[in-house]
Amino acid sequence: MENFKDLLIDPFRKFWAGLVDFLPNLLAMAVIAIGGVLLSWAFRLVLLKAFRALNFDAFCDRMGMTTMLRKANVWTTPSVLVANGVFGFFAVVFSMLGLSALRLQAIDSLSVQFFMYLPRAFSALVILIVGYMAAGFVARTVLIAAVNGGYNYAKLLAEGVRLLVIVMVLAMALEQLQIAPGIVVAAFSIIFGGIVIALAVAFGVGGIDAARKVINRGPEGKAGRDEIEHL
Amino acid sequence: MPEKTDILAGIASYNNAGTIGHVVKAVDAGLSKYFGGKRAVIVNSDGGSIDGTTDAVRTASFEHEAIFTSHPAYAINRISMPYDGIPGKGSAFKAIFRKAVEMNAGACCVVDADLRSITPEWIELLVSPVLNYGFDFVAPLYSRHKYDGTITNSIVYPMTRALYGKRIRQPIGGEFGFSGRLAEYYLGQDVWETEVARFGIDIWMTTEALANGFRVCQTFLGAKIHDPKDPGADLSDMMTQVVSTLFSLAERHSSAWREINGSLDVPTFGFRHHVGLDPVRVNIERMLRIFRLGVKELGPIWSDVLGKGDFRELERIAGDNDASFRFPQSLWTRLVYDYAIAFHKKRLPPGHLIKSLVPLYLGRTASFFMEAADMGHNEAENAVETLCAEFEANKGYLVNNWK
Repeated sequence: MENFKDLLIDPFRKFWAGLVDFLPNLLAMAVIAIGGVLLSWAFRLVLLKAFRALNFDAFCDRMGMTTMLRKANVWTTPSVLVANGVFGFFAVVFSMLGLSALRLQAIDSLSVQFFMYLPRAFSALVILIVGYMAAGFVARTVLIAAVNGGYNYAKLLAEGVRLLVIVMVLAMALEQLQIAPGIVVAAFSIIFGGIVIALAVAFGVGGIDAARKVINRGPEGKAGRDEIEHL
Repeated sequence: MPEKTDILAGIASYNNAGTIGHVVKAVDAGLSKYFGGKRAVIVNSDGGSIDGTTDAVRTASFEHEAIFTSHPAYAINRISMPYDGIPGKGSAFKAIFRKAVEMNAGACCVVDADLRSITPEWIELLVSPVLNYGFDFVAPLYSRHKYDGTITNSIVYPMTRALYGKRIRQPIGGEFGFSGRLAEYYLGQDVWETEVARFGIDIWMTTEALANGFRVCQTFLGAKIHDPKDPGADLSDMMTQVVSTLFSLAERHSSAWREINGSLDVPTFGFRHHVGLDPVRVNIERMLRIFRLGVKELGPIWSDVLGKGDFRELERIAGDNDASFRFPQSLWTRLVYDYAIAFHKKRLPPGHLIKSLVPLYLGRTASFFMEAADMGHNEAENAVETLCAEFEANKGYLVNNWK
């Protein structure tokens, strides 16, 4: 009878012992996760203040990033967007740290994979930001040069160049993230090569007169140039 | 080589074998004829020419007996030396300034190596205001076609005059006279590793002299004819070089120009007369087309720099037909000041900002050409003076928005 009683109570006793062993882990997870989220939120507020002091939104306006966000139907200001992004990132990191405090094998291996992937994600993000700024700079250079040269399709040309740079940047970011790298490289080669060939054919065949004029230096050729000394 | 010299004449060169012989002869003759009793030296600062420029400097000679009744008291030495540092006219001038300081020169002048119209009188006109009248800086004054020098006439002269209050008509002339004291000041400035060493030395020299209280004057040299400039030279690059230096100097000397109102004439040496000049071909239709293209394509940039009100005004005038097109002086003045403010506040990368000014400049230039089509030389000059008065009247706008 005593044996039977032990058989009945033992699972509960073991469960209770396990629960008592596990509770500190659970508590540690809760403290890390909740504390981390609160800390991330505080960091978000500090970041917002710093952005306001540095006129970050005005800088983004000038760099054309706000316009890009509007085009993507994002209506928050760039400073709030970045601060939210940073908050989200740290909230996830702290949550993962908290989960690893549970010391469960499955979650541990998930955490390891997550943290191993972080440098790649960070590199991809940097590539995207720098690439986007470079695309804007190059496109504006082309736009102004084309207008000053008197080319009628200046904006089209500038947007084409921006598209090429952005395609290249996206391919680099995806390659960095190791998302189907073989397919990304092949797709990039096809798209980039296709665009270049299409432009060359369109310029050489479709716009043969314009091409001739360009080769003859400028839209009007030498004959249309002024003799004035500007200085 | 003399340890001390009274006069130093500098010639900056780079592959000018075709013209530098004539320039050296003219300088030599000018020094002999007008300053025969003074010690003088000709310094050629060369940027590594490979066409025999330095040989041309050494071998250029003329018969003194054919021109003068007596030889100069001192032989005129010639020094041909390569300069070091960043390649450019500024570095070449730095070497000349250094030589002037080393030789304790009392008066100096610099002339371009590609001049075809230089005469011995130019040396007298550039040097004697320094040597005989105590001026520190002598700017050149040329007789030019009414269509020439449009960047000078529409931006550099009006703005330099409005900012520093002195009417130096050709702030970027190329030929200058200056005292040894000013050469020493120039040499001591920390600009020789900047863009001034490459380009913009002319406006830099003028502005430094004006902003630092040196005694300035100008001298009439007649027509300036030189070798054709590089036909590939791009207007955008020219504009960037000159206007970015002008705006940078305005930043550097903001405390010197804020309180200045109006402007004063500076003493002018030489006999001022108008010279008959070859007609100049202009393509107004092309200029207007680029201006209208700018209004269509550069709207976001211009709105940001100029504000929406002035951009709407640009859109309105862009809609006028070619014959009635006019670019108001008041709008142009505000616009140049807005660009200076945007440059100061770094609202765009400097290269982009200044290059985006080109279509506006072409619009204003086309308008001036149409206004001046039937004007004589003096009337065209009066139109430039009216523009300068507009710059002076609107200077408060620049001062208030500078911060």
